[in-house]
Amino acid sequence: MEVAIKWIMSEASEFKRGDFLKATIFGVCGLVTVGLGIPAIAYVISPTRQATQTEVWIRVGAVSKVEVGTPTLFKVKIQRTTGWIVNEEELSFYVLTENGRDYIVLSNICTHLGCRVRWIADQEQFFCPCHNGVFDKVGNVVSGPPPKPLNRFVVKIEDNELYILGS
Amino acid sequence: MSTRVGNWLDERIGWRGIWQTIFLRKIPKVNWSFTLGSASLFVASIQVFTGILLTLYYVPTPDHAYDSVQYITTQIAGGWFIRGIHHWGASAMVVLVFLHMLRVIFYGAYKFPREVTWLTGVVLLIVVIGFGFTGYLLPWDQKAFWATTVGTRIAGTPPLIGDWILIVVRGSEELSAITLARFYGVHVWVLPTALIILILIHLYLVIRLGISAIPSREE
Repeated sequence: MEVAIKWIMSEASEFKRGDFLKATIFGVCGLVTVGLGIPAIAYVISPTRQATQTEVWIRVGAVSKVEVGTPTLFKVKIQRTTGWIVNEEELSFYVLTENGRDYIVLSNICTHLGCRVRWIADQEQFFCPCHNGVFDKVGNVVSGPPPKPLNRFVVKIEDNELYILGS
Repeated sequence: MSTRVGNWLDERIGWRGIWQTIFLRKIPKVNWSFTLGSASLFVASIQVFTGILLTLYYVPTPDHAYDSVQYITTQIAGGWFIRGIHHWGASAMVVLVFLHMLRVIFYGAYKFPREVTWLTGVVLLIVVIGFGFTGYLLPWDQKAFWATTVGTRIAGTPPLIGDWILIVVRGSEELSAITLARFYGVHVWVLPTALIILILIHLYLVIRLGISAIPSREE
């Protein structure tokens, strides 16, 4: 170190001294950029690390309210924390049973781009108003842009109440 | 390789001339106090950078301001760091521009032909103080609330027009959502715009006129 300083300070190496200063300036600039840049990136992408929410059993409603043979709309209010805000949110599900024993619970979220589908009773189809996506009674795509059938939830029945596994 | 890229670019955009004008200009023999302006500029850039990041999460309403700041500080990765730099940078800014001003006064560097540089510097000092005053309210905690209550009340002390000024500054009779919104708007739009324009003029003049030498005894 001392040798280096002596060498840099010596009269003969005026030019080298300029190079040293230049390197120092660029080095410090680089350090500041990295020291600020890495926390900045972590800061911006931070929500990705908090997005994972634990799955819980959500009570949808009484089994007796499900009409046999036609998807029945159930609305459920849940508490959701986003950032520092705790909101009450309303989720909608379509519950279908053909025999009163086996139940299918369908998400009302269109698999195309996330608009909400609704059951059109006289056509016996789910319809999405955003891009004319059409699904049949059990959620399979009939026509339009949706790439996948409507999402199905894991179902359980306890004391004649319907529960689904969701987040 | 880098020289070739440099030459290629220089032929097309002429960056070497600009680089030379800004960084390789001739200066008289000076001391470390002549770096205070550059130091202020450096901290100002840091403030702009961290300030922009803070707006990604901060919400300027009475319902959310405090909670969003707490969220940044405790929940967001590096949030404490970004906010901490912005917080301490604000103080550093005021100290640096003040020392910069003292240096210019003591060396008489405000004299002909640099009067306009000095004038823009005076306005820049006011802008920096404005940043400090408006930024202080944004965390919306007890300290912020009462400091701004007092600060705006001082603005309302002139006779006759005092009450009118008070309402212009607060946007309402008492501190409210309107006060917070306009302090935020001034802090992130009005003052940064003024700061950038004034810095450009200030630097243009510094480069055009060159910096003043330290006065010698014979003069």
